Amino acid sequence: MPPMMPPGAPGSKGGPGNRHAALLTREKPKNIKGSLGKLLKYIGRSKYLFFTLLAVMLLITVLGLLAPMIQQIAIDCITPSEERSGVDKEKLIRTLILLAAVYGGSALMSYLQGRLSAKLSQVTVRTMRRDLFESLVHLPIRYIDNHSHGDLMSRMTNDVENISTTISQSIGSLISGVLTVIGTFVIMLTYSPLLTLISLSTIILTIIVSSKMTKYMKKYFVEQQVILGRINGHVEETVTGYRTVVAYSKEQDSIDAFRGMSDELRRTGIKAQIFGGMMGPLMNCISNFGFVLIAAFGGWFSIQGWITVGTIQAFILYSKQFSRPINEIANQYANIQTAIAGAERIFEVMEAEPEPGGGDKPFSADEVRGDIRFEGIDFGYVPEKQVLKGLDLWVKQGQKIAIVGATGSGKTTIVNLLTRFYDVDSGVITVDGTDITQIPMSELRRAIAIVLQDTVLFSGTIGENIRYGNSDATEEQMKAAAAKAYADEFIERLPDKYDTVLSEGGSNLSQGQRQLLSIARAVLADPKILILDEATSSVDTRTEMHIQSAMVALMKNRTSLIIAHRLSTIRDADKIVVIDHGRVAEAGSHEELIALRGSYYELYRTQFAGNRT
Amino acid sequence: MKLRSYLKPYLLFALLTPLTMIGEVAVDLLQPKLLSQIVDDGVLPQNMDVIIPTGVIMLLTIIAGGCFGVGSSAFSGMASQGFARDLRNDVFRKVMRLSFQQTDKFTTGSLVTRLTADITAIQQLVDFSLRMLVRNLMFLIGGVFMMMQLNVRFGIVIAISLPIEVLIVVFVMKFANPLYGIVAGRLDGVNSVMQENVTGARVVKAYVREEHETKRFDKANGDLMTANLKVMRLVALLQPLLMIAMNAAVIAVIYIGGLQVEASEMKVGEVMAAVTYVTQILHGIMMLSMMFQSISRASASAKRLREVLDTEPAVADGEGANGTEKGTVEFRGVSFRYPSSVGRPVLDGIDLKIKSGENLAILGATGSGKSSLVNLIPRFYDAVEGEVLVDGENVRSYKLDELRQRIGIVLQKSELFSATVAENISWGDKNASREDIETAAAIARADEFIDRMPDGYDTRIAEKGASLSGGQKQRLSIARAVLKKPEILIFDDSTSALDLRTEADLRKRLRESLAGTTVITIAQRIASVRDCDRIAVLDHGRIVGCAPHDELMKSCEVYQDIYRSQVKEGGEG
Repeated sequence: MPPMMPPGAPGSKGGPGNRHAALLTREKPKNIKGSLGKLLKYIGRSKYLFFTLLAVMLLITVLGLLAPMIQQIAIDCITPSEERSGVDKEKLIRTLILLAAVYGGSALMSYLQGRLSAKLSQVTVRTMRRDLFESLVHLPIRYIDNHSHGDLMSRMTNDVENISTTISQSIGSLISGVLTVIGTFVIMLTYSPLLTLISLSTIILTIIVSSKMTKYMKKYFVEQQVILGRINGHVEETVTGYRTVVAYSKEQDSIDAFRGMSDELRRTGIKAQIFGGMMGPLMNCISNFGFVLIAAFGGWFSIQGWITVGTIQAFILYSKQFSRPINEIANQYANIQTAIAGAERIFEVMEAEPEPGGGDKPFSADEVRGDIRFEGIDFGYVPEKQVLKGLDLWVKQGQKIAIVGATGSGKTTIVNLLTRFYDVDSGVITVDGTDITQIPMSELRRAIAIVLQDTVLFSGTIGENIRYGNSDATEEQMKAAAAKAYADEFIERLPDKYDTVLSEGGSNLSQGQRQLLSIARAVLADPKILILDEATSSVDTRTEMHIQSAMVALMKNRTSLIIAHRLSTIRDADKIVVIDHGRVAEAGSHEELIALRGSYYELYRTQFAGNRT
Repeated sequence: MKLRSYLKPYLLFALLTPLTMIGEVAVDLLQPKLLSQIVDDGVLPQNMDVIIPTGVIMLLTIIAGGCFGVGSSAFSGMASQGFARDLRNDVFRKVMRLSFQQTDKFTTGSLVTRLTADITAIQQLVDFSLRMLVRNLMFLIGGVFMMMQLNVRFGIVIAISLPIEVLIVVFVMKFANPLYGIVAGRLDGVNSVMQENVTGARVVKAYVREEHETKRFDKANGDLMTANLKVMRLVALLQPLLMIAMNAAVIAVIYIGGLQVEASEMKVGEVMAAVTYVTQILHGIMMLSMMFQSISRASASAKRLREVLDTEPAVADGEGANGTEKGTVEFRGVSFRYPSSVGRPVLDGIDLKIKSGENLAILGATGSGKSSLVNLIPRFYDAVEGEVLVDGENVRSYKLDELRQRIGIVLQKSELFSATVAENISWGDKNASREDIETAAAIARADEFIDRMPDGYDTRIAEKGASLSGGQKQRLSIARAVLKKPEILIFDDSTSALDLRTEADLRKRLRESLAGTTVITIAQRIASVRDCDRIAVLDHGRIVGCAPHDELMKSCEVYQDIYRSQVKEGGEG
């Protein structure tokens, strides 16, 4: 029988076509031994489970090998022979009862195997996921910034999922496959070494043909996948950029391009399918060919009296049992390789240097005064490009400092350094006179609240999101914080108010509303140091005016750093610092800087004089 | 099912597939019978003259069967892949005719899935149905037929074991299917916590919430495991149960066969053949059960595709028109609301006439309806009441292409395409020369950063411009609109990411190079638009003032409010 592909066996994730996917992604892990070792260590955490599973599989194999043997005895019972003309009924019944027992045992064991391997894979994968996530939350920001988010996500989803399927399916098949092949071979040898040799030859033929075919098939499947990827990209781009497509009347061009790709996919699809479709009939031919050989030679051998008819029957069964696991082993080997390559990527994240915990100088977030000094800071995200060059800045306790400068001048970098998302190349940042690298990271960050330009909200209710920085806050405190941030107005209008569940990071809210929530979050966290990184840039100016007064109240008794490109939002800062080319170019009050007629004056004039410059 | 009609052009291939498949299956079904002949007429009577010719016949039929098999997969490929291509093209063409609202409703991700994974699922279903369904049904029917031919009594075995097998499959699937849904939901939960922690890492760290997030993840992770285990345990039942049913049938066949042999009604070889047939029949059932699963999956895909195909485009072409008042835009009593929304309309009784070559600004708070207003001009949406005129003709009377040809619009969110910088700029005009492109880039002040790119104008933009800053992307979109040289140019808050000096400079260049073009600018900052000929102030969907800056400062309260919020104590005027 040809290897009929079950279209997406239950539990497998990809549905039809999975087999081809495995064919494609057969990547070679770089360090197969090391990664396999680590993976095995994870499995090894459920040692007892694993060894029980192994024992069960051994039993299944033995029972599987016994069954054709007993079948053969049963057939011999009904075969007329020299010493007996009729059917040995008593022996037949005994044999059939034994056969039933073997089948029953085998079914029971295979159920056990299913449960055990499910448990093993799920427990292992859960532990891996947890460990992976734990390393993820402790990864330095630099690592996350430097890696594509899609890639990180894919490690956590696809790669982990691959490992899960491999443990639950491939390992079992591989082990029982190998055991079956060995066992079958031994049994076939004991029956008839000659017939074994004959059936071995067809198996070798199977392996040669299938490996050759796979090579050809792979080429077409890769091609198919590439075109599918291009179609995917084209659709994604056209739909996300649909407004532009429509505005420029490019629909027809886009349709034409799509048609081209679509037809290309059809052509490679047909080729892939013909080659793929040849595999089945070819294997079928070879296996039927083996069938004929065994029947013919078996017949001749039995005429010579070397074997019984039952042996022929058993041999046909065994030779089928022999070739199936060989194909299976080849398939599973590819799957396992893919899984190990995935594991390698996972371990890479797990083994990335975690963020340091900071120093151990006593420091309490609640007792911070908020005196911040940057002294001679040099910093670059990459060694070749210095962003800050000898920056000196002193933010006194309770001061409100506005940082302005052109895009790319390093404003946000200052925030990244103060929160230790990145560490300085040289120079020292102190808070209350203590070098921030010497105090615990968590205490440092607890002393600071930050509101970013790109708001980040978490799935959960609005209330939970406001409480994010202070989970002990009472309902009243939470609502008060929302009111202070002028967020209460829109929240009250929502059907479930503070219990409204945010979908997909708040995509059901407007950008302005999301920003108000993240401001409310900062209000509730009530830190000594406040950082607003272009926090109001996505709120319209009238709303901003409202927030402004809340901000003034919020900033009272706090050290505040405000980064903004709207000068109106920062005019009443105690000090305005102009960053240019990585250092402080000017600093002073609004009036002082205007009087200076320097770069701040220039910026100011362009904003308010608009086009008249 | 409407999708079926897509198979029509490939009907010949679709018919040839099962026909050739029947050939292949017939050969497979013949084998046990031939084998039994070898045993009964050759081996037992020790007659080599039967063994050799029968063996040769077996070989010949096998080769014929192989040819049939290859043929059927080729025919099926031609039918199913052609079917998929036509369907794919139609769905995409439909998507290209939908309105924004309709595409937004489907979401990008889902449209991508529909055009790739869903179509692949259906293509595979067509392929499977043409080949595997036919194949397994043939095995089933043929197997039953052959067995009955061997001995009618075997019919009893089949009559008992077949329904049991079917029941087992139905039972397990009935309980497992809803569980799969739960697993998918839990997996989404795990993924979303991960996603949030990757994109929101800064906030997590800033609020020192690593422990909290780990706990949150633990819960989602544990939930996923529980759901997974539940379904896996259930599905683990399927195979052993089927095995029991199948093997019980094998035992029964041997026993009944034994009795028949004793009564000399049957030969040993026939019993052996019967065992093989039973195995084949029951194997066929297993395959069919799996196939039904994939049919239910594909029918979900088919439903999703029909959803797209059945959507009527909300905005349709007009008869065609040729407005003569070049460069004018007029709103006459226009009201607008988004179809699904309730409450106050977004735009409410707008009357506004924009002269040719005028420089008009639209100012107002978030949600005041600025973007909605300009979206009505190129018919991104249609007004609910009143009419919008371009060049003196109602926008609905134009063919969409004609209308949009006259209008250039730079969107709030820049959309770039994976192509070179030059190709992105000349996107609206394939025939533009390099010189045109460079001029447009210079006007948009994009030239300075393009020149600094490794390959200049030939630099490829990857991932929708992920490597470019917001300001750079905006300048490229502006260059693209400038190159189009439209009569009416609309900037929908499209300079928000530029720093002020760049923005001011950009405006100056635009004014110099676009003399005669009607320019409509949506802006947040008064400073950006105070020099415009007129500024229309929108408040809650109504125009509360439309005049030059100085006049609005005297007469329009809302405008004064905005001004005060942006320039406290009046600036230096």
